[in-house]
Amino acid sequence: MLAQQIVNAISLGGVYALFALGFTLIFGVLNVVNLAHGAVFMIGAYASLKAVVVLQLPLPAAILVAMLATGALGWLLDKFIFAPLRARHAPHLAPMIATIGVAITLTSLIEGTFGSENLRFPSEVLPAEALSMGGVQITWLELEIICLAFALMAILLWGLRKTGAGRALRGLAESPKAVALMGVNVESVFRVTSILAALLGGAAGMLIALYANAVFPRMGQPMLHKGIAVVILGGMGDIRGALLGGFFLGFAEVLSVAYVGSNMRDAIAFGLLFIVLLIRPQGLFGHVVQRRA
Amino acid sequence: MKLKQILAGAILALASLTGVAGAQIKIGAAEALTGNAAQYGAPIRRGFELALGEINGRGGINGQKIELVIEDEQGKKEEAINVFKKLIFQDKVLMLFGPTLSNSAQASDPVAQSAKVVAFGTSNTADGITSIGNYVFRNSVTEADILPVTLRIASQKTGLKKVAVLYGNDDIFTKSGYDNFKKALQDLKIPVTTTETFAKGDVDFKPQLTKIKASNADAVVLSALVAEGAPMMVQARQLGITLPFIGGNGMNSPRVFELAKDSSDNLWVGSPWSVENPAAENKKFILAYRKAHTMLPDQFAAQAYDAIYIVAQALKKIKITGKLEADRKSLRDALPAIQWTGATGPFKFRQVAGRDGRPAGYDAVQTAIVMMTKSNRYVIQK
Amino acid sequence: MEWLESFWATYSTLVLSIGTNVLLALSIYLTLATGLLTVANAAFMGIGAYTAGLLTTQLGLPFFIALVLGSLLPALVALAIGRPTLRLSGVYLAMATLAFGEVVRIFILNAEGLTGGALGLNGIPQLTQWFDVALAVALTLFVLLRLARSRIGRTMEAICQDETATELMGLNVGAYKLLVFVLGAMLAGLAGGLNAHFTFFISPDEYGFDRAVEILAMGVLGGTGSPWGAVIGGLLITLLPELLRGLGHYRPLINGVILILIILYSPRGIWDLFRPDRESRRLPAAH
Repeated sequence: MLAQQIVNAISLGGVYALFALGFTLIFGVLNVVNLAHGAVFMIGAYASLKAVVVLQLPLPAAILVAMLATGALGWLLDKFIFAPLRARHAPHLAPMIATIGVAITLTSLIEGTFGSENLRFPSEVLPAEALSMGGVQITWLELEIICLAFALMAILLWGLRKTGAGRALRGLAESPKAVALMGVNVESVFRVTSILAALLGGAAGMLIALYANAVFPRMGQPMLHKGIAVVILGGMGDIRGALLGGFFLGFAEVLSVAYVGSNMRDAIAFGLLFIVLLIRPQGLFGHVVQRRA
Repeated sequence: MKLKQILAGAILALASLTGVAGAQIKIGAAEALTGNAAQYGAPIRRGFELALGEINGRGGINGQKIELVIEDEQGKKEEAINVFKKLIFQDKVLMLFGPTLSNSAQASDPVAQSAKVVAFGTSNTADGITSIGNYVFRNSVTEADILPVTLRIASQKTGLKKVAVLYGNDDIFTKSGYDNFKKALQDLKIPVTTTETFAKGDVDFKPQLTKIKASNADAVVLSALVAEGAPMMVQARQLGITLPFIGGNGMNSPRVFELAKDSSDNLWVGSPWSVENPAAENKKFILAYRKAHTMLPDQFAAQAYDAIYIVAQALKKIKITGKLEADRKSLRDALPAIQWTGATGPFKFRQVAGRDGRPAGYDAVQTAIVMMTKSNRYVIQK
Repeated sequence: MEWLESFWATYSTLVLSIGTNVLLALSIYLTLATGLLTVANAAFMGIGAYTAGLLTTQLGLPFFIALVLGSLLPALVALAIGRPTLRLSGVYLAMATLAFGEVVRIFILNAEGLTGGALGLNGIPQLTQWFDVALAVALTLFVLLRLARSRIGRTMEAICQDETATELMGLNVGAYKLLVFVLGAMLAGLAGGLNAHFTFFISPDEYGFDRAVEILAMGVLGGTGSPWGAVIGGLLITLLPELLRGLGHYRPLINGVILILIILYSPRGIWDLFRPDRESRRLPAAH
């Protein structure tokens, strides 16, 4: 059983990591706790579902549709909410509350349009065959998710290190003023970050929708809670941390179900989070970020 | 659409204020029309409207048409209380249906009881609801009555010796179902190999299922709603678990075929209503529902449909004087004796005891049909 | 008179909810005005509700005693976790308190023997009267308004603006933070006890993430510049769904949009629009 549970943990961890990547980016750079990320993720899932069902697109095209839809959302979010609030030097709670409003709006919009029942992808498109290796079952889809999480992380890290835009982003996370003095258009970097995070959220949305084969308006909520936990464990704004945190949480949850009891699963996850925060607030894998003006 | 309804409501409110009562019989319904529980509230509403359409189309009750005032309680208990109060005190309905969730009923039914208005649940199956008082009725058969039957027949037919149990521990419906399963398993002396839990909204059940597989059970007893239950079956099959699943009535929904597609076989469910039941009233209902909504009905719709007819029978027997208090009471007094054969089969009420031991509300008495899924159909097992 | 009776029959729950929501908003105002982003108030409310509810249903204790004990227990819990937790700041503090809240909720869920678990606690006697709530709100408001003008209030604002400087002035910042945290927990517990006794039935998921977010929204929307902000926030969040009832299906949608519009128009909360002097600000410092 242990082997299978380890496989379960890795695939669950991959799922969490994928979601957390976008979430941590927004916090790290824009310094906003984006409570609408769950809703963005959900929109990605719906967009890809409709792309497959209504437009009859194959899966790779559907993921692009999902990212297009959520990328647009990311642009809208920054243009009409984050940017105006930045301009007015709003207290940092304000954008968070605004994202709550956005989440409510998006969720009820989808609920009103598509109903609150679970929808699913047609079984023909699901790469759901299970591989059986040495008594352990894993599906192709889970493997793809894990690979994608690593791949995306690698691309992001490369982008942040090697490209001009990436360096601007990292600079912004450290000090907006310094970066502005260097001639970087701070506003456009913020905008790009919001879009990027939303793109990641949308991709995560579709993949996780496939994984669970369930698309419903509130699917973002539990993911958001877990995403928050992952990002804390991994260190806010830390890309590698998001990945490591995701896997860590996946393991913590699966092993606590396997060896403690499934009803303690969430208690252990959040309890762990609480303790980590008290002992090591920068997360298990993060580094201390000094926030300057 | 909304404006028309608001205007109509306003005119009727005015009419009732000026004492022009008796033009229509007004009953209320508090159901979850938005929010998570809307997936159950929506078929309930469709069931109501179908039945009302038929009754009013035939001339109504003793010449009077029935008007249904339906309000959204959002699946939240505070809203359920607010909506109940509005329907009772503002719209002055004769009786009301709902709310959708057992949780909400625990909070709102006491309001109806103290106002002496019949509260009729069509989807509340948890314990502790009808024991609130003698104005509380329901036609949704409780798990306590159905689960033992399901277990007995399933164990006979599959020859199972021991089971694993999986249930949602954060929802009153699934938890209540679990309590009833546990008791039935004890009565039937079936040992439990392991008990696992999950929470509403979870999408990953593999850790629990892996543990269940390792425990060598012969079947999995499941207390869940389709939203979680279907993915569970899919993941179980992916993990190589071919065991039968035995579910509570939350799993009695054609949606399980949509959601679990190729993994939906071998699920055992018990319920008074089955889409496969060939009885004449049921077939008529299914046909009419498909015609109106182009989809198959589910248990929620069937019970709502029958509920309207049950109340209609009572309405036929009483004399509506126009004095609200007296009418509400005579409706309550006429209900317990009603017997009706509708889409869910022969039905009658049974009074239960309240918390203080005195006679209280009324539960449903119906025979359970046990079914097993096979090739996207529920096959009735005898 | 008849009109009043009929109004009360229909709307009593709503009015009482306004009262308890205002108390909750005040409970978070205390910590927000000190610059602490704590979102554990929903959990404290839950602890208070269950304590008071269990005391009246299981032990038959008088309402007043149940309420007092129901406010004390959350305060004690806050005291216990306060010291280590309040060393955190900003979003980290928020996350820690959120995580704590979830742990409490799950504990209540699993302690079936005591709390009934998912089945909830029902048959709670209807003991809350309008004057209980009115008195609680009036008293709390009075105390907090005086507090805001007192030395404690000025210290709260100082900590909010610049914690390090305040510490350097010789003030025991840690003790002040703990004080507002514990007071906030007490208020939330009181609100919980009152709320339980006019809704018959409570269950663990009422005190989770959704409720925590709602309380936070009340505090921020109303504005943290003054206890009056909390009153506005509580009123708004409670009444908005009711006022929008006629919109049927679109209700939650409009709710969300209104939230966004208010924050965009007045990021410091509605109270900010009314303040006589917009120069002296009492707000969580904008980083």
